[in-house]
Amino acid sequence: METPFTHAAFKPDAAFTSAAERFFELLKTFGMPGAAAAGADRDWSSLAGPLAGQFEQWLKSSQSAGPWFAAANPAAPGPGAGVGAAQAGSFGPLPLGAGAAPQQDAQRSWDLVARLAQLQGQLASHWGEIANTAARRFVARLGATAGGAPTLDNALKLYELWVNCAEESYAATVRKDDFCRLQAELANTSAALLVEQRRHAETLVRAFGLPSRNEVDALYAQLKDLRRQLAELTDAARAGGSGAQRPAVRPAGKGRRKRPRRPRA
Amino acid sequence: MRPFAPDAEAVFAELTVRIADTVARLREVQGVAVGCSAKRAVWSCGKTTLYQYLPLAQAPPRAGRRPVLVCFALVNRPYVLDLQPDRSLVRRLLEAGLAVYLIDWGDPDDADRCVDLDDYIERHLGGSVRHILGNHGGEALDVLGVCQGGVLSLCYTALHGKQVANLVTLTTPVDFHTPDNLLSKWVRGLDTELLMRSGNVPGEVLNGLFLSLSPFRLTQHKYVRLLSGNSDQRALEDFVRMERWIFDSPPQAALALAQFVRWFYQENRLARGTLRIGGRRVDLGEIRQPVLNLYALEDHIVPPDAAAAMQRYIGSADYTGCGIDTGHIGMYVSRKAAHEIPARIISWLQERQ
Repeated sequence: METPFTHAAFKPDAAFTSAAERFFELLKTFGMPGAAAAGADRDWSSLAGPLAGQFEQWLKSSQSAGPWFAAANPAAPGPGAGVGAAQAGSFGPLPLGAGAAPQQDAQRSWDLVARLAQLQGQLASHWGEIANTAARRFVARLGATAGGAPTLDNALKLYELWVNCAEESYAATVRKDDFCRLQAELANTSAALLVEQRRHAETLVRAFGLPSRNEVDALYAQLKDLRRQLAELTDAARAGGSGAQRPAVRPAGKGRRKRPRRPRA
Repeated sequence: MRPFAPDAEAVFAELTVRIADTVARLREVQGVAVGCSAKRAVWSCGKTTLYQYLPLAQAPPRAGRRPVLVCFALVNRPYVLDLQPDRSLVRRLLEAGLAVYLIDWGDPDDADRCVDLDDYIERHLGGSVRHILGNHGGEALDVLGVCQGGVLSLCYTALHGKQVANLVTLTTPVDFHTPDNLLSKWVRGLDTELLMRSGNVPGEVLNGLFLSLSPFRLTQHKYVRLLSGNSDQRALEDFVRMERWIFDSPPQAALALAQFVRWFYQENRLARGTLRIGGRRVDLGEIRQPVLNLYALEDHIVPPDAAAAMQRYIGSADYTGCGIDTGHIGMYVSRKAAHEIPARIISWLQERQ
C-alpha cells in the first residue's frame, strides 16, 4: 500500500488512489458478514476485532504513525524514515555497513541493528493499542450513524466517524511519555547507525586517498571563517574610510593558525 | 443489520466511478502553477536569495512607506504566501502599495552542513535587512515573520531593534514547552550531537514528521473528502497547489537544524532568555516596537498557547495578539484567512506608518 509516508513525494493522484482503496476496504469491513451477527439490537462489538486488525496492519505498513518507524527497519529503509535515519537507507546498495567493517566496528553496527529491531517491536505494541482503542471507540459511537440507507453520503459519514476515533486514539497514545521516549530512542539509534556507517565509509575513502567527509567539513569551516573575516575587514574598511579604524579581526594566514572549531549543536 | 450494507452494489458502483473520475481530474491539474506575483532577485548570500516583488501597475508603492520584509520558515517554501492570485498575502500587500521583499533560504547542500543559526540570522536575514535599507534609505523597515521565520525575526528584532520599525508574526512559537506541543514532546529526547553528525536532513523526513502529527487526516481523510462530490475544478486546483507545496520541502542544514531543536524545542532558550546569537543574548524584553501577533486557534504544529505566550516576554507597549479560527496551513491559504489576515496586517501597518 502506497501512502504519502511510504512515498513522500508530490503525487496527488497516487496518494488519492491509495486513500480511496483504503476507504473501499473499510466499507467492505463495515459490511462484512461477521458484523451482521449483531442483528437489530445494534451491538456492533463483533466488528471491533476485524477493524482493529486491519487498522494495525495499515499502521505497520504505512509507517504513518511516526516518521522514525521506517528507520527502525534496517532491512527496508525508505524515504519516509526519520530524522537522520532516512539517509541510512541510501547506504543500502553500497558494500558498507556491518558486513564490510573490521570485526570490532562490525560488532558495534550489528548491536545497533539489533537494538533497532528491539525498539521496532516495542513500537508495534503501541500500534496495537492505538488500533484496538480506535476500533472500540468506533463501535461504541456507531449508534444512529450506522444502519442507515446505503448511500455514499452515509458511507462518508461512517468514514468521518472512523477517522475521528482513529485520530483521538492515536493522539492519546503518542503523547504518552513512554511513546515519546521510544520515538527519540529510535531516532537516536538510527542516527548512531548512520554515523557508524559513515565512519566505515571514511575508512574506505582514506584507503583510496580521497578526502573524507570530516576533512571536507573542516575545509568548509575554514572557508566560512575566512569569509567572515573578509566581511568584517570589508565593513571595517568601509566604516574607517582611509583605514583609520583597525579591523577587529586578524587577517587570515598571519600568526598562529587556529584549528577550525568543530561545530556543536 | 450491518453498519454498512455489503450488498450496496449501487454505492460501490458510484464510488468506483467517482474514484476514476477524481484520479483523471487530479492528473489533469497536476501541472497547475504555483506562485503568481512577479519578483526579481536583488541580493544573495550562500543559498539564500532576497527577492523584491515587482509593484503592481495599479498600486505603485506609496512614497514614504516603509518596505516590508517577509521572513519565512527554513523548513518550507515561501511561495505558499503567493500561491495563486486570490490567495496571496504578498499580492494583497502589493495592492496596498507596499514594497514587498521576501527571503528564500534555498536548498542547503552538503557544503552548508555547518551553516548555523548565527549565519541565518546575522548574515542572511541581517544582510537582507541591510540591503533593503541601503536601497530604500530610512533607518528601519517592517518585518513579517512566518512560523519558524517569525522566531528568526524575533531574534533579529531583539538584537537589532533600531532596524525594525514594526514586527508582524504569523504562527510563531515563543514558548516551546507548552503542554499541548506534541512536536516538542517528540523531539525532546533527540541527541542533537548525533543529529548534527548524521548530516543534512532531507525535506521528506521533516515533512513525514509533520504529517505524522495527525496521520489519518493528513494522509487519508483529506483525499477521501474529494469523493464527496463537492470538488469543482477550481477547488481541485487549489487542492493540488497545496499538495505541491506540502511535498516540496527543502533539506535542512545539519548544524542549524540541530541548534534549532536543541536551543528552542529542548531548552526553550527563547522564552527563558538564555539564547545567544552572534555572541549576544537574545532578550525579548528588548523588543519595544509595535508587534502584531497572529496565530491559529486549531494549529497542530504551533499550538496557540506557544504563540500567544509572546505577550509575556516582549517589552513592547503596543502589542496586538489575535487568534484566528483555523489551522496552521489554513492561516496561509484558507478562504477565510485569505481575506482576514492580509486585511488585519495592512490596516495595522497603516496605523503605524
